[in-house]
Amino acid sequence: MKNSDLTPMPKSVNKSSQSGPTYWRSLDQLADTPEFQEWAQREFPAGASEMNDPFTRRRFVQLMSASFLLAGFGLTGCRRPESRILPFAKQPEDYIHGEPDYFATAIPGKTGSTPVLVKSVDGRPVKIEVNRDHPAGLAGTDVFGQASILDLYDPDRAYRFTSKGAGSDSATVLDKVSQASKKFLGSKGKGLSILMETSAAPTRDRLLKSIKQKMPEAKLCSYDAVDVSASTHGSEVAFGSKLSPQYHLSKAQVIVSLDNDFLGLEEDAPRMIREYAQSRKIFSPEDSISRLYQVESVFSLTGANADHRLRASSGGILQVAVDLAEKILSAKGAAASAPLKTALTKAKAANSGKEGLWKSAVEWVGGCVEDVIANSGHVVFMAGSRQPVAVHALVHALNHLLGADKELVRYRSNESLSDQTIEDLVSDLNKGSVDTLLILGGNPAYNAAADLNWSAAQAKAKTSIRLGYYQDETTVISNWGIPQAHYLESWSDSATCDGSWTPVQPLIEPLLGGLTEIEILARISGLSDTDPYSLVRDTFSNATGELEFEESWKQALHDGYLDGSAAAIETDLQPDFESVASSITTAKFPTEPLSVDNLEVVFTRDYSMDDGRYNNNGWLQECPDPITKVTWDNVISVSPRLARKLDLKNEMVVQVTVNGKSVEGPVWIQPGLADFTVVLPLGYGREKTGRVGLGAGFNAYSIRSSTNPNFTSKASLSLTRKTYELATTQEHGSMQEGGSFMQGRAIIREANLDQYKEHPNFATSMGMEAHAKNEGSLYPNPLDDPKYRGVHQWGMVIDLQSCIGCTACMVACQSENNIPIVGKDQVRRGREMHWIRNDRYYTGNIEDPQVANQPVACQHCETAPCESVCPVNATVHDDEGLNVMAYNRCVGTRYCSNNCPYKVRRFNFFDYNQRPLDKLYWGPLAEKGMPDLLQMVKNPDVTVRMRGVMEKCSYCVQRIEQAKIRQKSIAKDSDNIKVPDGTFTSACAQACPADAITFGDTSDPESEVSKLKENSRNYALLGYLLTKPRTTYLANVRNMNPNMPGAVVPASFKEYEEKNGDPFAHNDDHAQGHSDHSEPHSDAAKKGAH
Amino acid sequence: MSDIFPKWTNRLPLMALIGGAILGVTAVAGSWYYLTPEYSRVGYQPTQPVAFSHAIHAGQLGLDCRYCHSAVDQAAHSNVPSSSTCMNCHLQIRSTSPKLEVVRESYESDQPIPWVRIHQTPDYVYFNHSVHVNRGVSCVQCHGRIDQMDEVRHEKSFSMSFCLECHRNPEKYIRPVDQVYNLGWTPTVAVDSELDGSAFLDALKKEQISKGKELVEHWDVNPPTSCSACHR
Repeated sequence: MKNSDLTPMPKSVNKSSQSGPTYWRSLDQLADTPEFQEWAQREFPAGASEMNDPFTRRRFVQLMSASFLLAGFGLTGCRRPESRILPFAKQPEDYIHGEPDYFATAIPGKTGSTPVLVKSVDGRPVKIEVNRDHPAGLAGTDVFGQASILDLYDPDRAYRFTSKGAGSDSATVLDKVSQASKKFLGSKGKGLSILMETSAAPTRDRLLKSIKQKMPEAKLCSYDAVDVSASTHGSEVAFGSKLSPQYHLSKAQVIVSLDNDFLGLEEDAPRMIREYAQSRKIFSPEDSISRLYQVESVFSLTGANADHRLRASSGGILQVAVDLAEKILSAKGAAASAPLKTALTKAKAANSGKEGLWKSAVEWVGGCVEDVIANSGHVVFMAGSRQPVAVHALVHALNHLLGADKELVRYRSNESLSDQTIEDLVSDLNKGSVDTLLILGGNPAYNAAADLNWSAAQAKAKTSIRLGYYQDETTVISNWGIPQAHYLESWSDSATCDGSWTPVQPLIEPLLGGLTEIEILARISGLSDTDPYSLVRDTFSNATGELEFEESWKQALHDGYLDGSAAAIETDLQPDFESVASSITTAKFPTEPLSVDNLEVVFTRDYSMDDGRYNNNGWLQECPDPITKVTWDNVISVSPRLARKLDLKNEMVVQVTVNGKSVEGPVWIQPGLADFTVVLPLGYGREKTGRVGLGAGFNAYSIRSSTNPNFTSKASLSLTRKTYELATTQEHGSMQEGGSFMQGRAIIREANLDQYKEHPNFATSMGMEAHAKNEGSLYPNPLDDPKYRGVHQWGMVIDLQSCIGCTACMVACQSENNIPIVGKDQVRRGREMHWIRNDRYYTGNIEDPQVANQPVACQHCETAPCESVCPVNATVHDDEGLNVMAYNRCVGTRYCSNNCPYKVRRFNFFDYNQRPLDKLYWGPLAEKGMPDLLQMVKNPDVTVRMRGVMEKCSYCVQRIEQAKIRQKSIAKDSDNIKVPDGTFTSACAQACPADAITFGDTSDPESEVSKLKENSRNYALLGYLLTKPRTTYLANVRNMNPNMPGAVVPASFKEYEEKNGDPFAHNDDHAQGHSDHSEPHSDAAKKGAH
Repeated sequence: MSDIFPKWTNRLPLMALIGGAILGVTAVAGSWYYLTPEYSRVGYQPTQPVAFSHAIHAGQLGLDCRYCHSAVDQAAHSNVPSSSTCMNCHLQIRSTSPKLEVVRESYESDQPIPWVRIHQTPDYVYFNHSVHVNRGVSCVQCHGRIDQMDEVRHEKSFSMSFCLECHRNPEKYIRPVDQVYNLGWTPTVAVDSELDGSAFLDALKKEQISKGKELVEHWDVNPPTSCSACHR
């Protein structure tokens, strides 16, 4: 797609500026011109009739489609059509057509927002990028943040006001809201209940407070499908006040995490990933890095990155915590903590007879405690929100005892405005005491606990009004439905995890006329001015306390935060050990050991769907789960041991029964899972959602109870005779034989810290290239000719030490490079289009494997095997080291893909952009065309590829060229044309929350990427092929504790050693080739040639 | 002797001749159309909704190109001016001229003037104006002597070879940055009355190349000739 002058759009959508033409208005007017109407009718009646489609009701969307049709007309005739250029009638200030603008805004979250910069081209937000200048301290976003832009342009989102699911109009519905407001202002709010999700939003809090003041009897209920408040409840026990801890891991030496997936599905993950990655950065053997101990039942991303991981059932983690704490208190106890020590000893003794700790766990805990004591002051404990309050209280107490609360943990006040839980609300509803129920966001009809029977309860409210982003399960049973605006569409505000006031600034007018929570709340509270912009400004003026705040307002919008607005840090907190002790004493310990007949079921958020809110997002549906690598579905994960016992195989459909309720789903055998734990990810199996999410997975909420929402035992599993096909990318693009193991090929190179200190060059000692004689490449290197070498030489380094495998890079790339969604069936055939994939390797024991992650995109080989075999020169080298694709030349022989050793080329088997994914095989019989809204998400700087062409990572060539052009425009008549390091970076590097990817100019010795390539950990993937890849990797250094049970070298290293011998034994012989090497080497050589 | 060839084969030579002729005409017509400026639109000169004359504004009055095409040195896209730009002057000058009726109406009703597009690169070509005009490539190289045109016509073929000709030999076309918008600029040649027309042109060419080489070296001009320069 390309810019054209056909669609003039405003640069920013600012409600306050009513002067000048707005994009939509001028297009509306344009749509009405008789000339245009006549043309559309005459040439393309089918296209004209399309405009009656419900999704093109809005006039601007009509025009969007029409303008693309105009472009399409050119292809139907021989002659180029006459096309028009439509400039503004009155030029808006500072607007330059086609040049991107960046606006600071934030993605709202439960406990804090993610500050971002959003790229907008001609009034169209197209890409989310993190706001690195924000004091919250993020380096990148997570997958959800990157994918949230697709939700904005989702053609299936709620587009109209409804009454019981049927269409209504805004006047009628908003009138109902106003009537309710009048009524409850009179009756002090008696009978009004407001249900909403937790959110860190100052304006919303302000309005809720005013509602409470005006309507003291109204009930506010805060409800999240997956509750994240356990830590705050724990602080209430430990410190007596509601606090939320913020962890600063970058300076930690030892991190002990109890079921806390802080690198994955806990709140605030992008910041935690950065902090964690910082604590692990190592560039010389003198550096020290942190060590991560993880105790968990599921196999999470955090567990996959842990140095030591203990498998324990979710229920059993309480016992592990007690054991840990007891040992630590024995060694480091103070007089004040004596009551806790007594309670712990008692609890331990009381439970030792039941499912006590098994032998290896006792050893594990012992080793861990030693390490904790030795590093006291630099140790931090964390507990996952799945865990009971007692564990959290214990963790707070331990952090205090070990001095973590000085630097590593900061507490901030977290007072909730909520009066009741959803259980209270349901009982109110059943009593009939709720007259009007206002549901803002959420989706209780889908995700409330099954025993609450929400749908029946909601029907007992006289009136229910729902603000929702989709026409979902809750909207259809509500009396009145209001479409919700996307966060990029309307004004709001938020606080980041540190409490900084952060604007949620819109970049576009509501596409489908949605409203926000604060607009509805303002109406309810009887305010005359419900314009969200002025509501947010009022909050801001309160926050600054200034009367003349125009300048600081502008500054805050520009920066994306109000300077100095971070919440106060609570200091001098003294834990109440007795209260912690009593919470341990009253905690529910597992009563009987788990077995095949007494399974534990754990409900988790999903790495793609979260709690189901991203269900209709195709990018996320197709983004493989970072651990299972399954796309488009959720699976029932079972341990290999359980699978052996019950004779289960992948894709068999089983029935999980707990508390008399059961659900069916496909089995996935997950190495590393606790033996008798069955994991059910939430968020799938939707009944009312858009076209993307419908039919994906099973609904685990249907067996979730309100008493044990996170995990529960006494579950059973029975076989059905069915099977269910899953689409997994586990083996796609595999560079080794035999699936997930590396067969000693040194694709990933790892060593333990002590090995690294002894052999800083371990990475180059491994692999065939360390032994084989360099006889020159089979393929020509165009860059050998110095005349052909350009001013810059682009290259990339991926630090495997930092990469945690979150897949944010994959979605960022998809967003930047217009990568299509291909659908489950095509993924099954290995035709997913992601330019960058994230390989996840298991090594070691299947019951308890180690995991290594490796993002792989086109390596941009200098001597590229793909180029030599292209019969039409469609893939060639440019003078700056990029292996480029000329789509127009490509005839689709796919020879290049066959000859690529890294398997990074992607072929458009179908016109994924133009045809419905369920009708790909219909050929020309299927309807053609992209939904109008989806066209708007495309990056105008990147070609949208068609059927029959090959594509692959381009190193974001559009960003490179733009940077070069910008530099040359600055240079003018000087020779200052070299782009300075750090001016720009690729989309994957920009999105990476761990700063694992570095992109830049390798011809500049001072650039960051050049320096990293000089590091001793630097190695090329399959380097012995002498393809001279421009992307190289920094080998992973684990930090395993030699005093712990189990291996003291990484399992992958051991595997390599078994296969190839000790890589360090032959350090001196490398120059002489590998003539003196033993048999396994030539074995590996054969494999290499294979 | 029985017939080896049936009778209709007598007409075969004629049929072959006619068939061959049709094929030949198609081939000639096809290459005529696709390989000549006809296809690359050279000479395209549509009638615009407003009879705007570049010859008067840019030529006679000497307005700088950037007065109207204000984004040309800042963006990929060179903008067509808004009606308000015209009205900056025409509120005062010829404010009642019937020729300007469309402009005034657009300005008042906030409706764009539907100019007809003349120059267009294909969608897969990412051409950038700013980098060219900022580095000594004049408007005239691609658009011709706009300042002498009453109605703009498509002057040069926008084929890939046209782009590459300059990207391979920038010294032939490059000029000082301050002369980019001076469409009539030529390198100065010492006037020698002996020189006749063609010799003068040769001298100009020579001067351009020697001056151009100097600029190319001083500014480190290295126009990309790889695919990635224009295709992404």
